Amino acid sequence: MTSNGPLRDPANRVSPKAVRLWLLESLIAFVFFAGISLLLSRWAGGWSWVPAWFARDPWLLPAAVVVATLPFLAAEPFVRYAVHRWELSGDVVYARSGFLTREWVFVPVSRIQTVDKGQGWFERMLGLATLEIRTASHAGSSTIKGLDYRVAAGLAEELAHRAEQLRDDAT
Amino acid sequence: MGPGPGPGPFPGPAVRVPQRLSPKVLLIDPVRMLPSLLLPLVGVLFVGGFSARSYGYAAAGVIGAVVFAIIRWATFTYEIVGDRLETKRSLISRSVRTIPLERIRGVDVSTPPMHRLLGLTILKIDTGASGGEEEAKLAGVTPEEAERLKAVLLRRTAEPVPHAPGEAAPAAGPRERPIIAVPRRWLLYGPLSGAYLLTPFAFAGGLVGLAFQWGDELGFSRDTAWNAGEWLWEHPYLLLALAVLLVVAMPFAGGLMYAIFNWDFTLKRRDGYLVAERGLINRRSVSLESQRVRGYEIVDGLAERWAGVTRVWAIVTGLGDSETRGQLLPDVPRDVAFQVTGDAIGPYRGELRPHPPVARRRRLFRAVFPWLLTALLAAVAAALTGAVLWWVLLVLLLAMAGIGVPLGLDRYASLGHGYDGVRLSVRSGSLRRAQAVVERRAVVGWRLRQTWFQRQAGVLTLIAGVGAGKGGYSAIDVSLPQAVGFPTEVTPEWLTPFLEHDKP
Repeated sequence: MTSNGPLRDPANRVSPKAVRLWLLESLIAFVFFAGISLLLSRWAGGWSWVPAWFARDPWLLPAAVVVATLPFLAAEPFVRYAVHRWELSGDVVYARSGFLTREWVFVPVSRIQTVDKGQGWFERMLGLATLEIRTASHAGSSTIKGLDYRVAAGLAEELAHRAEQLRDDAT
Repeated sequence: MGPGPGPGPFPGPAVRVPQRLSPKVLLIDPVRMLPSLLLPLVGVLFVGGFSARSYGYAAAGVIGAVVFAIIRWATFTYEIVGDRLETKRSLISRSVRTIPLERIRGVDVSTPPMHRLLGLTILKIDTGASGGEEEAKLAGVTPEEAERLKAVLLRRTAEPVPHAPGEAAPAAGPRERPIIAVPRRWLLYGPLSGAYLLTPFAFAGGLVGLAFQWGDELGFSRDTAWNAGEWLWEHPYLLLALAVLLVVAMPFAGGLMYAIFNWDFTLKRRDGYLVAERGLINRRSVSLESQRVRGYEIVDGLAERWAGVTRVWAIVTGLGDSETRGQLLPDVPRDVAFQVTGDAIGPYRGELRPHPPVARRRRLFRAVFPWLLTALLAAVAAALTGAVLWWVLLVLLLAMAGIGVPLGLDRYASLGHGYDGVRLSVRSGSLRRAQAVVERRAVVGWRLRQTWFQRQAGVLTLIAGVGAGKGGYSAIDVSLPQAVGFPTEVTPEWLTPFLEHDKP
């Protein structure tokens, strides 16, 4: 999918159900953008300073917004599913994420301070969870979205257990 | 610094009685409350006229302030119980704050003018928790008590610092060792730092505000102030002269403020702590636990680089407000800065590796393109309307784009990263160039970031996660082999499992 150069892909994909989660989020974003632009075009017809050609055809604004955002919003869930991957080996968490901006994060288990798993509304609906692995630094912390709930719970358990064994106070 | 800590591990007998702040704070507290009381008081006097009744109110207010200060003083106690510090406040609600001594990361002693006059100091105890919630403040103890408390509070965490080889390491000798006392003539570098440069404007703004707020009481009405302003507006040359005066005053006023804050800056090592003392009016001393110092950041602006001076900040875990507290050195010559930081924390002996040429193109593009784009818009507007304003704007924008060329080149020249086996270093920036030097063991993780534009250029931003200072230090626009090679070099055990060639 993406060229990582000398880095290999993390071993595990997130849950396939994550695509549905991201589709849902895309849909909400789409409704939001389309709704706002529709409302704006309704009002804009009455404003005096808009150009005449726009006042005549105010539907151009929502049309432009839809054309501009739809490909991105439609592609995002599938691109994300291809990009988002994670792996735990050698006591290091290696995770990749992102859509337009990609991120690769390496967090050694010995430096982990807290492991949280959280579930939003939609995630609970789909049986997904987000794993937040925190170290003393925000740049060295990782968030893995779209994990199957049982996978997330197991991973959180394992990480917390290992982190306790390896506790390294150097921060 | 007064009577030094005694020879035993317990510098003073652990006092079991709860202690109060020095009663002299009673002289300070009401005076400090005065400004907040003054406004309502003046209001009462003016609304009620100068009658006996309004004087009564005023007196009641002053007495109230004094009584409040006394009660506050009487109900606040602190005590060192075993291995914790307890502060109790039982003014309205009873609150006890317990701070385990082992959690104390530093003690900050400062003496504002009024405290100095009365021979008092303010002791702030830093526990490394973010936010002021977890911080204890003893506002008003005698310097001797401050020294005693400092010795007791810092005793637990004070362990012998690992000395660099070749450095004399007296184990039981004098506990305090000066590292540097910055000579006063180096205060002249102050204006180059760009700090406090806006002082004249802040001062002028304050004066105008004051004139409007207090003009009535001072005998001229608000209208007079308005008229003065209008009169000034009608004499633009005078206004211009005033503006020029303010601009000319910038380096002088800035330099003066800098000198006041950084007067007699000294850095010394005491009992496993780095102690920085500075200030003319408010003399403050900040103790940083050496064990928690993870590195340092060397900062220099354009003018400072031209003069060959730098400033240094320490990178410390769990230090709140590190921008003011973490300062290790004010403007000093570069070689001195490197020598002092090498002595106090540890040297960085490696080279900085340059970033790929694509990074230069990206720096240039980012420094020039936005100006060119807006210049183009201004040109279109100028051609359409022919207004002089657009032409002026166009010339200004083109000039900015022109300045962008050397700026972009300099930004590229600043970029670099390196590792010397103990510490890693990254550098970036031009108008404010910053080089961070961080111990390897302070790295808690790595993050690679690639925006869509960076992906087209084949570069990434590598961020070393550090549990201190800013939390992350970035090497901007490194090539792909560098982005993977550098973390692999610094922490091979973390990265090698994920390298392609590792597969059989």
